[in-house]
Formats: sequence, structure tokens, C-alpha cells
Amino acid sequence: MATKTVELVVSPREPHFVGDGFRVHNFIPSAYRLDMQRMDPVIMMDYNSRYYFEPSEIPKGVGVHPHRGFETVTIAYKGKVEHHDSGGGGGIIGEGDVQWMTAASGVLHKEFHEKEWSKKGGDFQMVQLWINLPAKDKMSTPKYQSIENAAMSRYKLENNSGEIEIIAGEYEGLKGSASTFTPLHLFNAKLKKGATANFSFPNNYNTALLVIEGDIKVNSTEEAPTDHFVLMANDGEVFTIEATNDAIVLILSGEPINEPIAAHGPFVMNSKQELMQAFDDFNKGKFGYLED
Amino acid sequence: MNNFRLTTYLTSNIGADKSIIDQLLSHCAIRQYKKGDFLLRQGEKCEYSFFVENGLLRQFSIDDKGKEHIIQFAPENWFMSDRESVYFNQPSTYFIQALEYTTVFLVAETLLLELAKTDAAFLAFNNKLLHNHIRHLQRRITQLQSATAEERYLYFTKIYPDLTLRVPQILIASYLGITPESLSRVRKELAGKNHKK
Repeated sequence: MATKTVELVVSPREPHFVGDGFRVHNFIPSAYRLDMQRMDPVIMMDYNSRYYFEPSEIPKGVGVHPHRGFETVTIAYKGKVEHHDSGGGGGIIGEGDVQWMTAASGVLHKEFHEKEWSKKGGDFQMVQLWINLPAKDKMSTPKYQSIENAAMSRYKLENNSGEIEIIAGEYEGLKGSASTFTPLHLFNAKLKKGATANFSFPNNYNTALLVIEGDIKVNSTEEAPTDHFVLMANDGEVFTIEATNDAIVLILSGEPINEPIAAHGPFVMNSKQELMQAFDDFNKGKFGYLED
Repeated sequence: MNNFRLTTYLTSNIGADKSIIDQLLSHCAIRQYKKGDFLLRQGEKCEYSFFVENGLLRQFSIDDKGKEHIIQFAPENWFMSDRESVYFNQPSTYFIQALEYTTVFLVAETLLLELAKTDAAFLAFNNKLLHNHIRHLQRRITQLQSATAEERYLYFTKIYPDLTLRVPQILIASYLGITPESLSRVRKELAGKNHKK
């Protein structure tokens, strides 16, 4: 099998605030060569690199906003987030947990630092992904999958040198609990200094790494420090990650959906007409109502 | 100068030949404003029609009690100006402010008048623009006089489909001439009627 080589190592861009609670570097779709098509089906990645939030009696976050046509995946590394939606759902995403929200036909939601956490303040570090849905599922019923860290499948590496947490997809025969609409692998590789892990994905799968902690080398040569994004080329299947010091790496690999993308604000559809419909439906209250 | 919204706007709206459009564009300055920047303040003379290439402007007045009243929003492809000031040479009674990072073309009134003198198609375009503006204001007056809060809100979303996601409720309420609480109630009632679980 051919080696999947590194196409690009991307430094984090200047951060911006989403609401007042998320200080993020956007990689997809605004970084050079990382538009929505390039990492299809992963069409957005906001990365809140580790950032200290002062204690706040009033929780910081993002107020009510809609989504339609895709899924949001929130991976909490540090800190806690509380969310509520127009369907009456809600919950807390704690450290190590993942929340997988299928917005599909449409939800309104809001996301804030969890109340008690906010009062104490602390380090906050999260990734939010938007995973596109194929046209046939864009208007399906919204749903949640709450994936708690303790329940995640883990593959232990040799010599106690680390583990691969499987959020979605499959690694060495172990399956993640998240169900996806199109084939997608999402792992956290937690590697001790010097540990190596091997990965294999079909070469047409769009594949990337995000270095959450530590520094790594990909295929023994390409170095990627903390907070950097590594885009893998579609030229092979297998690659290796080596931790130069203790590291956590988010690994994403998905089969491209290869359908037209029409995106504006919080809606991602296939045509301009569907986008206009989304705005009209939202304005007419068809997404429901949620108090600010 | 070819990939601008203004170019497309002019090309699709004026039957004038390209040279007139190029001439107009070559005389328009392009400016960028940060969120919160003012393009015009009360008491100043308005010299331009502002064409929004990207971003969002609002035009508002402040009453004696210090309350703001928004008369118009201008997202992409909209013109914004104070006709009283720009044409009748009066000090403006309005403020124009950027609500987002905004790129605008400054179209000088004198330039429009000059071009209208020499080019029939351009004159027709200028007339159309003015009448469109008058129509918009007429409808707006009728809305404010006789439409319910819900009707005003729905009409607003027809004119400005994405502004409900770009502008805080309090500014939309100011435009609609209702309180933020009423706007909240209207949206809640609409959801009650239209949301199928």
C-alpha cells in the first residue's frame, strides 16, 4: 500500500470570538486551500486552542442560532459546555466528551460555558466540526448523540505507549459508537513521547490531523507542532504518526460526498434556492423558538 | 474592476454601454469601514451615495430623548444616502454607521448628475433608482401606519432575508418601530403557528 503523504501543514490563523465564549482559529473553510470542498465531508473546523477564561458569574457563550443541512460535532478537551435546543433537548459536554448534533432539517440552539465551570473559570479547549450531510439526508429529523468519554472504544498501543480513542468509524477492528450518514473516521490519538501509531484510510478519503497537545512527526519526516493542522494528500493509504513528546492528535478521515455545496451563514445546502428556503423557514419560525 | 458587485449591479440594471459604466466606476472610490465606524454624522453634509459591496450599514436618527430610530439597513447590493443632504445641500439629520466590517463604493452625487446629462440610459437608470427608493419609503410608511407587528416583521424578512441572523433583535425592533419584547413575542407566536414537531 502506498504512503499517504503530507500535503500541507497549516499554522493556526488569528483567533476570533464566536459569541463571547469561544476563541477560535478557523481552519476550514477559511485557511488557504482548505475550502469546504477540500475536506468534504468536513466542511468547517473551528479550533479553540487552550485559552484561560476568567471566572464569570454570567456564563459566556453563543446565543440562539439555527443550523440546517449538516451535523455539528463538538469535542471538549478542556472545560465544559452546556447546550439547549428548540426541541427541548439539552445537556452538558464535559471534558473528553463529544456531542454529535444532527441539525439536518433544522434546529435552534445555544451553547454556553457550563454554569459552575464558568464561576470558577479555567482552561478551555475545544474543536467544533461541521460534517456535511448528503442531499437525501439534509431534511431528515434532527437528533443528538452524546458520546461520553468513559464509553468510548479504546485501542491500546503496544508497551503501554498510548491509546486511540475511537469517536466514529473504526480502528484496528474497534468501532466508535457515533453513527454517521457517510463513512467517516474520527479518533483521538493519545501518544506518549516516542510512541508511534499507524493509520490506513482509502486514498480518496479526505484526511487531516489536528495537533491538540505536544508535537508530532508524520511519516518520520514532516514535523507538526501544537495547534497545527496537517492536511494529508489523496495519494496513498497509510501513514504514521510519531509523538516527539506526549501528544494528543485529532484524526479525521471521510469519504467525500461530492455534491454541490451552497452555504450561507449557519445553513449548508445544495442549491441557492434551498438556502433561500432555509432563511424563509427560519424567519417564519419553522425551526421553532428558543428563549435567549 | 470586474468582479465587484457594483459592476454586476450596473451591468444588469443599465442598458448603457460599457464605457459609461467603466467611466462611473473609475470615478468611484472604494472604502473600508470597521464595525461601529460612521460614514455620516448628523450635521454633516452627505456627499455620496454609498453602495455596499460587502458588509452592512444602518441609517438612523436620534430623537430629543436620545433614542435611536433606524430608517434603513443596507446590506450587499444596496445604496444608502441622505437625499435631503446630498441633493438639497442640507446638513444631514441622520447617521450612517457600519454594523459589520464593510466595503463601500462612494458614488459622488455630482458624478451621477454629470453622467445623467450626457447619457440617456444612465438618466433612465438614475430615475429608476430614485423611484425604487420612493416606492420603498412609501411602503415603509404604510407599514408603520397600518401593519401589525407580525406583518411588519414578515415584510422585513422579505426585504432583508438574512438580517435576522446578522443584526441584534434590538436593532430590528427599532427599524420595525416596536419594542424588542414585542418582536420576541411575534417570533414566538410565529414559531407556535409554523413549527411542526
